Amino acid sequence: MSLRRRTLLKVIVLGDSGYVHKRFSQQYKATIGADFVTKELQIDDRLVTLQIWDTAGQERFQSLGVAFYRGADCCVLVYDVNVMRSFDTLDNWHEEFLKQANPQDPGTFPFILLGNKIDIDGGNSRVVSEKKAKDWCASKGNIPYFETSAKEDYNVDAAFLCIAKTALANENEQDIYFQGIPEAVPESEQRGGCAC
Amino acid sequence: MSLDSTSSTSADDSPDPASPESVESQLGSVALSEPVAELASAANQVARNGVGFATASEGGDDDEEDADMGGEEGPVGRAEEEVWADYGGVGGLAAAEEVGEGLGGGGVVWGRTNSELEVDEPASPSSSGYAGERGSSGASSGELEIGEVVEDEIQEPRSDGVDGVLDSQASWVPGKRHVDEDDASVSWRKRKKHFFILSHSGKPIYSRYGDEHKLAGFSATLQAIISFVENGGDRVKFVRAGKHQVVFLVKGPIYLVCISCTEEPYDSLRGQLELMYGQMILILTKSVNRCFEKNPKFDMTPLLGGTDVVFSALIHSFSCNPATFLHAYTCLPLALATRQAAVAILQDVADSGVLFAILMCKHKVVSLVGAQKASLHPDDMLLLANFVMSSESFRTSESFSPICLPRYNPMAFLYAYVHYFDVDTYLMLLTTSSDAFYHLKDCRMRIEMVLLKSNVLSEIQRSLLDGGMHVEDLPVDPLPRSSSLPSHLSQPKPPTDSPERFRETCDWIAGPAGLWHFIYRSVFLDQYVSSEFPAPISSPRQQKRLYRAYQKLYASMHEKGIGPHKTQFRRDENYVLLCWVTQDFELYAAFDPLADKALAIKTCNRVCQWVKDVENEIFLLGASPFSW
Repeated sequence: MSLRRRTLLKVIVLGDSGYVHKRFSQQYKATIGADFVTKELQIDDRLVTLQIWDTAGQERFQSLGVAFYRGADCCVLVYDVNVMRSFDTLDNWHEEFLKQANPQDPGTFPFILLGNKIDIDGGNSRVVSEKKAKDWCASKGNIPYFETSAKEDYNVDAAFLCIAKTALANENEQDIYFQGIPEAVPESEQRGGCAC
Repeated sequence: MSLDSTSSTSADDSPDPASPESVESQLGSVALSEPVAELASAANQVARNGVGFATASEGGDDDEEDADMGGEEGPVGRAEEEVWADYGGVGGLAAAEEVGEGLGGGGVVWGRTNSELEVDEPASPSSSGYAGERGSSGASSGELEIGEVVEDEIQEPRSDGVDGVLDSQASWVPGKRHVDEDDASVSWRKRKKHFFILSHSGKPIYSRYGDEHKLAGFSATLQAIISFVENGGDRVKFVRAGKHQVVFLVKGPIYLVCISCTEEPYDSLRGQLELMYGQMILILTKSVNRCFEKNPKFDMTPLLGGTDVVFSALIHSFSCNPATFLHAYTCLPLALATRQAAVAILQDVADSGVLFAILMCKHKVVSLVGAQKASLHPDDMLLLANFVMSSESFRTSESFSPICLPRYNPMAFLYAYVHYFDVDTYLMLLTTSSDAFYHLKDCRMRIEMVLLKSNVLSEIQRSLLDGGMHVEDLPVDPLPRSSSLPSHLSQPKPPTDSPERFRETCDWIAGPAGLWHFIYRSVFLDQYVSSEFPAPISSPRQQKRLYRAYQKLYASMHEKGIGPHKTQFRRDENYVLLCWVTQDFELYAAFDPLADKALAIKTCNRVCQWVKDVENEIFLLGASPFSW
C-alpha cells in the first residue's frame, strides 16, 4: 500500500445518453447493465481513483438501482444536447438516484450535469441550449454543468476533475470505525466457542 | 483404534470392520457409480455458454450459514465430483497442472469456450480418477512428470519464477507481489489464483495481485455480478468459466471472491475465503459492518493499511499448511514431561486473569491453556498465529495488540501480549483488559524463567531439529502394548523393512510398503499430526501438490449430500492415496503410486497404532481446552 494519501471515489453515470468516456468499451453493459472504468487523478496531495460506473443508456436496468448506487460518492447525469427527450428525463434520473442511493444528506449530495455530443453536426442539430441546461442546474441546487464531447474527448477531463473535487469536498471523515467498537465484553458475557 | 481387532482394547463403538480384509472389501464396495456422463453434459453446456451461475434458490432464507446446509451446488458442482477410482485411475491429477490460462481474453470471467481449453491438452477418453471432471470439460489427462506442479503463479521463465513460484517455507518472502499489474496486464490475467476482498459498494479492499485502486473497475464488476444475481432474489455461489472457477462469499457488506484455475474443489476455495474473512475480522472485528450501515461509502483500506503481508501469508499457507483445510492444529512433538512443565506454568498465569496462554513454535503449539470454560477454535489459532508470524514488528519487541478471535467473539477486541523467546518460539497471552500490559509482562517473565529453568526452550529447539514422525521409522511389527517407548520420535532407527521398490534411484527412501506421508487428525482433540516429508516429496512444489491432493480428498470425504464416507482408496500416476475416517480420527496417507493395496491398508493400521503409541508426545492431551 502506498504511503501517499489515496482516495477512491465511486462515480455513477446516469442518463439517456450513452458513451461519455472514450475508454468505455461496452463490455458488460448488455449483460449486467454497467461498464466500468478507472481513472486516476492527482488533486493537491491526493491521488484520487475514480471508479466510474457507466450505466447511461440502460433504462432497462433501472431496477438494479439499490445495489448499483450503493456507496456512490457522486453522480454524473448525462444528456444528449441533440435529443430533447434525454434532457426531459433528467428530472427522473435525479429523483431516481436520490431514491435508490438514499444518501445521508440528499441536499448536498454531489451531482454534476454533462451536456454530451456537442460535436455532432458542428452543433447544428443541437436542441437544448446551454442556458436551458444551466437553469435546470440552478433549480437543483447549483449543480456544476459541463458541455462535453466524449468522441472528441473535449472537456471530459475537466468535468471529471470537477466531479472528483466536488466529491472530495463532500467526504466526511472516516472516524466512525473507531467510535463503533465496543470495549471487550465483561467476563460474564463472554461466550466461549461452541456451546457443547 | 486399529483395524486389527486383536489390538483393539477399547470398546469399539464405530461400525468399522475389524479386519484388514473387510476394510478391503469395503474399499471395493465403495467405488461408487457416478452419473458422470449426465453431469458432464451439464457442465459442457455451461462451458459452451461460457458462464454458469450456480445458485442457491432458497427464497427469503438467506442466512449465510444456511447456504452451507443447503449444500447443493447445482449441476456444475455435481459434475465436478470425482470418480471413486478403485484401481487404475490413469487420467490424473497431472491434468490439473496445466499452465494457467488467462482470465479470458476479452471478458473478465465470461466467455471461455470449450475449444479454447483444449489447446494444450492431449485429448483422452479417460474419465477416471481425478480426471472425472476433465472428461466433462472435454479435456483430459495431461502427461506431466513429477516436478511440474500446480502453481498459483503463472509459469514464468525459471529465472524470474523464483520469486513466487518456489514458495517454500524457507524461501518464501511475505508481502505483496506484482503491484504494478492490473486487470489489463497479461501477466495478471494469467495468475492461477486470485483473491479479492471488496465492499458491497464495489470498492476494493484487498487484492492478492496488483494494485487495489487500479483494479477498481474490476472490483466494481465483481460487485455488479453479485448484485445482478442478488437482484433476482438469488445468490451466486460460483461461476465456472472454462478452467476457471470464480467463487463468491458474501459476508454482510464484505464480498470475497476467489478466481482460480487450480482445480481445487469449491468447498476448499470457499473455506479459504472464510479464512480470509476471519483474518479480516481478527484485525478489525465485525464492527466494520456498522460502519457500512452508517455509511455505505465507507472505505476500509486505510484501516487495513500495512496488513497486506498478513493476507498474503495466509494465502500462502493455503498450499503449505494442512490446518487450513483440516480445521485442526498441530503440536510440536515433545516429551510428556517437557510439555507438562510448559502447561503447568501457563496454567499458573491463566489462573491470574489471562484468557488464553499459548506457547507456539512457528505454527505448532507447544502448549496452550485457557481460562475456565473458554475455548479456542483451531481456525482462530491459525489466524492468530498467521497474524503474529507474518507481522515483522512482533519479532522485534514485546507487543500488546488488539486482536479479535472471530470464532470466540467476532464483535469485540481482545488484547494480545506477544513476545518472542527466540526466532521461532513465541508466547501469546490474551486478555480482555486493555490495560493489562504490565501484568502480562510480569506473567511473561515468570513463564520465561520457568521455561529456561526446565529446559523447555532448548527442548523445543531440539524437537525442531529432529522433526516429527518420519515414515521410515514406522515400527515394523505391532509392538507389545506395554512399550510406551517415547523413542520413536527422537531416535532415528534404521528401517528394517526397507521400501521394496527402488524406482530410479536409491534416494527414494520412504516408509514401509511405499508409504510416503500421512496426516492423522484426532477428531476429539481437534489436533492433527503430519509426518515429515521423505525424499520423494522433498521440494516445496511436491509438497504443495500433495497437500492439494489431500485437500481434495478431504473435501470429497466431507462433501455434503453424498457423504460421509469411511474409506477411500485412490491411485493415480502420482500417488496411492488412502483415506480412512472414523468417529475418532481421520487418516490421510500417501504411498508410492505402485504400492500394493493390501499392504497399504495394513500399513495404515500400523500408522494408527504408532500414533496411538506416541500420542503423549505428539498431542496436547488432558488439560487442553479443546478436549471435551
